[in-house]
Amino acid sequence: MTPAHADALRPGELRLEGASRAFSVRADRGRTLKEMLIGRRGGGPAPVRALDDVTLHIAPGETVGVVGRNGAGKSSTLRVLAGIVPLDAGTVRTGGQVVALLELGAGFGRDFTGRENVFLNGALHGLGRAAIEARLADIVAFSELGEFIDAPVATYSSGMYLRLGFAIAAHLDADILLIDEVLAVGDEAFQRKCEARIAQQIAAGSTLVLVSHDAGLVERSCARTVVLDGGRVAFDGPTAEGLAFYHRLMGTAHPEPVVP
Amino acid sequence: MAYRYLFEQMVRRELRQKYKGSVLGVAWYVINPLVLMGAYYLLFGVIFEPQRIPDFPLFLMVGIVVWIFFSQSLLSAAPSLLDQGALIRKARFPRETIPASVVTVQAITFAALMAGLGVVCVVVRDTLAPALLLLPLLLGALFCFVLGVGLAVAVLHAHFRDVAPILSAALLPWFFLSPIFFRPEDIAGQPAARAALEWGNPVAPYITAVRDVLYGGTFPSIATLAYVLAGAALALVLGGAVFRRLQGELAVVV
Repeated sequence: MTPAHADALRPGELRLEGASRAFSVRADRGRTLKEMLIGRRGGGPAPVRALDDVTLHIAPGETVGVVGRNGAGKSSTLRVLAGIVPLDAGTVRTGGQVVALLELGAGFGRDFTGRENVFLNGALHGLGRAAIEARLADIVAFSELGEFIDAPVATYSSGMYLRLGFAIAAHLDADILLIDEVLAVGDEAFQRKCEARIAQQIAAGSTLVLVSHDAGLVERSCARTVVLDGGRVAFDGPTAEGLAFYHRLMGTAHPEPVVP
Repeated sequence: MAYRYLFEQMVRRELRQKYKGSVLGVAWYVINPLVLMGAYYLLFGVIFEPQRIPDFPLFLMVGIVVWIFFSQSLLSAAPSLLDQGALIRKARFPRETIPASVVTVQAITFAALMAGLGVVCVVVRDTLAPALLLLPLLLGALFCFVLGVGLAVAVLHAHFRDVAPILSAALLPWFFLSPIFFRPEDIAGQPAARAALEWGNPVAPYITAVRDVLYGGTFPSIATLAYVLAGAALALVLGGAVFRRLQGELAVVV
């Protein structure tokens, strides 16, 4: 652990310093007491280093796309930034309200109505009843659920589920928005609407960190691109160059790469 | 306390899911201890006729209700973090709200049972005495004790999946060794066994103290009271420490 910084982070600022994190790859997650008492679990592949000494400074209001092949550490980075997974080494610090969209509608209780789930999800982000009530009308309007807001979410179509999930996350006044590929699952109209809403939040000063395989989305939404490879930062810079680097890395570059 | 409202929401959610889909609903939580009480009354009050404790069904009932709160809280706390795995993997919030809400839901049922039982005890046993004022303190201490143990059990089970099976295997003999259908002070001539049953079992002093007040109308002994309060503090501190120590990796292990 590096010594604690005396200065506080500004809202919307992110600092990842020398961050490393490994995951053991196992089908079964938990251990048993016997395994602990007789020592290490035998066999199995070695732990995967999802993050290997990653240092990343993101200023308030920046828009950063994180790209890389599957297993490059993109989602791990996001989970570390969201404070869900701790680091093995290094530090992570974030300023202000962090809203992570790792999965739309994560934690929805299926027997509960859309409205009840709005309250539960707001509460998960530390909001009180009054704060959620103040946002309720906007959330319901954005989700386009109408009177279905009072039906149990178990009766929702997947599209309705996604719309509600996004509507909640988009109205939590995020200083930092962490988005993991979730927009790819909706239909085109939904994607456009979400992109517009995200652009609106960026214009209002939010920081965006977006993990995506969709180069077009990164190009439209992010000024800066970080390419991760094998848990390390392979490129960090303007999106035009970053995506060119990414395409070369993936072997999907145009025959004549666009020189910036 | 930014997450107070989250805790409230979790308790509501838990309550709803608990009572959903059961025809008898809330009534079940009264019927269950009554059935147990009936069975143990037949066994220990009629068949064996042990120490001839007056109003034996009530004597039993106080112990059974305390025990049910203890055991059901631990049994539902153990898998609670795994049950909410989707939430833990995808969102950042204080993880202790999950086991705490599960134990709180059990405490709500327990409080309702206690209120009913309290009225019956006061009427039948004529225990409307100053000692009764101690009851809120005792129940508060019991809640803290159960919460502390519940936090530890929940986070340990998330890491080591055999904690819940071990727990449920231990609870049955533990029940019979707890002073539910006997009084430790009736064990004459075997001081070692008596001391072990009276003080070796951390649940025993809670049962004894609540029964002293509710069934006996007397103050518990200073030693019992000290044990109850110290046990609550110790369980909270230790359970909290174990939870904090092991909660970091929860998103990875659940």
